[in-house]
Amino acid sequence: MIEVEFLASLIAASMRAGTPLLFATLGEIITERSGVLNLGLEGIMIMGAMTGFYVSLVTGNPWLGILIGGLAGLLLAIIHAFFTVTLKVDQAVTGLMLVLLGLGLTGFLGKDFVGTVAEYITPMEIPYLSDIPYLGTALFSHDPFVYLGIALVPVIWFIMNKTRYGMELFAVGENPEAADTMGIPVDRVRFIAVLIGGFLVGVAGAYLSLAYAKVWTEGLTAGRGWICLALVIFSGWTPHRAIFGAYLFGGLDVLSFKLQALGLGVSYHFMRMVPYVFTILVLLVGVIREKEKFGAPSALGKPYIREQKY
Amino acid sequence: MRIERRLETPKRIYLYITAGSILASLFFVGVLLAIIGVNPVDAYSTMMYRAFATKFGVTELFVKTAPIILTGLAVSIPLRAGLWNIGAEGQLYMGAFAASVIALYLPIHTSAVVIPLMIIFAAFFGMVWASIPAFLKAKFDLNEIISTLLLNYVAIYWVEYLVYGPMKGKYVYNFPYSDLFGDYAILPRFFGTRFHLGVIIAFVVAILIYLLMMKTSYGFSVRIFGSNPRSAEYAGIKRSWVVVSTMLLAGMIAGLAGMIEVSGLHMRLRANVSPGYGYTGIPVALLARGNPLFVILSAFLFGWLYVGGSAMQTTFGIPVAIVDVFQALVVLFIIGGDFFTRYKIKLGGRS
Repeated sequence: MIEVEFLASLIAASMRAGTPLLFATLGEIITERSGVLNLGLEGIMIMGAMTGFYVSLVTGNPWLGILIGGLAGLLLAIIHAFFTVTLKVDQAVTGLMLVLLGLGLTGFLGKDFVGTVAEYITPMEIPYLSDIPYLGTALFSHDPFVYLGIALVPVIWFIMNKTRYGMELFAVGENPEAADTMGIPVDRVRFIAVLIGGFLVGVAGAYLSLAYAKVWTEGLTAGRGWICLALVIFSGWTPHRAIFGAYLFGGLDVLSFKLQALGLGVSYHFMRMVPYVFTILVLLVGVIREKEKFGAPSALGKPYIREQKY
Repeated sequence: MRIERRLETPKRIYLYITAGSILASLFFVGVLLAIIGVNPVDAYSTMMYRAFATKFGVTELFVKTAPIILTGLAVSIPLRAGLWNIGAEGQLYMGAFAASVIALYLPIHTSAVVIPLMIIFAAFFGMVWASIPAFLKAKFDLNEIISTLLLNYVAIYWVEYLVYGPMKGKYVYNFPYSDLFGDYAILPRFFGTRFHLGVIIAFVVAILIYLLMMKTSYGFSVRIFGSNPRSAEYAGIKRSWVVVSTMLLAGMIAGLAGMIEVSGLHMRLRANVSPGYGYTGIPVALLARGNPLFVILSAFLFGWLYVGGSAMQTTFGIPVAIVDVFQALVVLFIIGGDFFTRYKIKLGGRS
């Protein structure tokens, strides 16, 4: 029965490793649905990770850490929204600069508490259910954010598909001109979408330092931001496929560690390349599929500038 | 208040935006320094002093500026065609790798053969690395910003793999370095300082690229394409040719930057060949507005930041990551400021 035990712990570990990916991917899905591309995930995530950790270190409250981590993400997202939505600047370049800004700021401000220990989010055993053999370990002994991540999937699905804001989100991402004519405030809808996305990505980062890694180090996010960009495409901009992708990738992450621990000689450096190569491949598939209009919001990456009428 | 589209953009606006962006970034970085308890005036005067007060400081400024000139050019050329090459960092690493292979494994040990071969191989491998996003852009219209960026990480881990593994030096202990190059693979140095031939190479390349971009029909067609792709295509300029040729040229130059770093400065292949010079090329190119001669000027600004940054690290214990923050801010201010080149803000009601 050792295999079943291994499988149970692998599933459990995959869910935990997949949770930060899930939060960030869901956030980016909302952002991109509105037609705004935010390449800054890596920078936003690491800002969330550092601020969250710092707040927990100082206050002893990891929950507050997660919240402030989310707000730090929101703050960077405001920069992105201001530049791309208000000033109509190139979205890709702005996002990229957020990465540089996030990595720079965290390397600069976070230096002093590398190696310190902060209060972290502890797992909670769900009464009775966690006692079920194997299944209990695999599914019912996680920290609350794992469940919150799962719960967010139907919530976001509902908002995107059944509410007025979801309808507007869809409209501005697909055809901002038409949306504008219908009286939908394109810029406002997009601005809000970028902020919600930034908050969730910040939470993802804080989860990483406060529940998953439980430490702060420079470069803690280690390319997860880029993976999430690929996961958005992988999921076809839908939340229910995002959870599948996030857990799958979380699982691969965990598995690569376990394989390395077993000494299956793939170099560490090649393992580190995987997310980047994978992201390019997914993008390529996405670009080729996009020619058949598969999922991507039509106006993604294009600033909307209302033509002036004379 | 309302926003109006400009019909014509006065030249001086660009100057104001550039100067304003630099000043604003220096200001914000100063605020950050103050937050961690360092007096910004002290910090900036240390930076000035280190770079300009001694012979060592001035030559070091040139040494740090040289690779930035090359990466600045590697961003500028595609930028002229409306393309973002974020991959100069990776192209630099591939150039460093190729030059190192020649330096360490070629059985010929004559400078006159080895150094030119190192240059050729570095440029070639930089070009090969740039050809991947160039091809994907030309054929599938894959966003070159993302592909060039992601390939940087792959190149950096590739070099890391080599210096921890197959190319790890026999005479280094626990350092991610290759063995030292033989004398025949090292660029000559001058003035008893680290000022090496690579600095002069960088200046020569900048002038050649200036002539290519400003004085030849090739440069003209690239610039036409950059300012108006549609009319360029009507004029018979092929999009795929512009995309591929500018990116390959950029890759060659960035690869050359890798060569002068390993051959002129480090004298071996090592992890962290570059502290992010490839990314520095982006603000350098933006400040220079893609003009190769201005690239030299704006590269000096960032060379100064790196010289000053390491001085601040030794004096105040400030991480060099502050240079990244400065770069990100400069770019944001410039591209944000470009809003004012396209629009003007008028106070008051309708006209």
